[in-house]
Amino acid sequence: MFKSAYAIAGVSLAVVLGVAVPANAQLLTHKDLSVATATTIALTAIETCKAQGYNVSANVLGREGQVVVAIRNPAAGFATYENSMKKAYTARTTRAPSGKFADAVKGNPNAGQFFLTNFVAAQGALPIMVGNDTIGAIGISGAPGGDKDEACAKAGIDKVAAQLR
Amino acid sequence: MKKIFTVAGLALIGATVGSANAQLIAHKDLSVTTAVTIAQTAVQTCKAQGYNVSAHVLGRAGEVLVAMRGDDTGPHTLENSMKKAWTARAQRAPSLNFANAVKANPTAGAIHLTNMVPAQGGLPIMVGEDAIGAVGVSGAPGGDKDEACAKAGIDKVAADLK
Repeated sequence: MFKSAYAIAGVSLAVVLGVAVPANAQLLTHKDLSVATATTIALTAIETCKAQGYNVSANVLGREGQVVVAIRNPAAGFATYENSMKKAYTARTTRAPSGKFADAVKGNPNAGQFFLTNFVAAQGALPIMVGNDTIGAIGISGAPGGDKDEACAKAGIDKVAAQLR
Repeated sequence: MKKIFTVAGLALIGATVGSANAQLIAHKDLSVTTAVTIAQTAVQTCKAQGYNVSAHVLGRAGEVLVAMRGDDTGPHTLENSMKKAWTARAQRAPSLNFANAVKANPTAGAIHLTNMVPAQGGLPIMVGEDAIGAVGVSGAPGGDKDEACAKAGIDKVAADLK
């Protein structure tokens, strides 16, 4: 009886010792973009720009900078496909609009990050956030001006705002 | 009279220069809307069957028009879907044909070319006899299932492919 009680106490202790498994050793829980959400973001951005008379390409990258959806617009210049990816990569990794990096490079043309692969000092990409967590980014290229690219990128994110939580 | 000869001469030159093979080539090509619809339909068709797949739609020159990474897919599926599509575009035939050819001849020259893969799941996108692109799907348990989803993508826009 006592032995049994000790055993139970032991189990309880083990549960308490759950503390021995510190929080940072547990697996990470992530929210990530589905292909459906990513496609909606990209398509909305392209269509928004199209409605304004601009043909653009779009890239939506995920948490690790991986391509989730890449869309080349044959009606846009062929550099736009690469550029939209790089803008998105820049926004994802700096967790900020790529225009911010463009500004930083303007102030410091030899900024160290400028020499990293896929960084581009150009406006037109926005991070995709869930609260304070950057789960991806969208980059747009093709409109006459990074501000116009960025506005379309924002339209894409706004379209799925309700899903980003 | 002299003027008439001149005119006749010009007309003759014009006719010679304008021979058929010197004219520009008229192409039909995929629009971004059509390409996205093909990829999305392929991914969704497989999803509805319980298979998470990635898809690529390539254009006439093998250029990527749409790359789409499916939910919870293996990391290789995006690359594989591109290569299946490339193979289908290059050979203007289902990538299954190349898979079969390589089975019969493991040293087929084309196996050493970049992006060729002997795996089912890629289909050319045809306008009549003209291969204007290809769609590749990867992730389903079997190339036949990948190919069925690729076909669903093309079928969805069949009316536009003319």
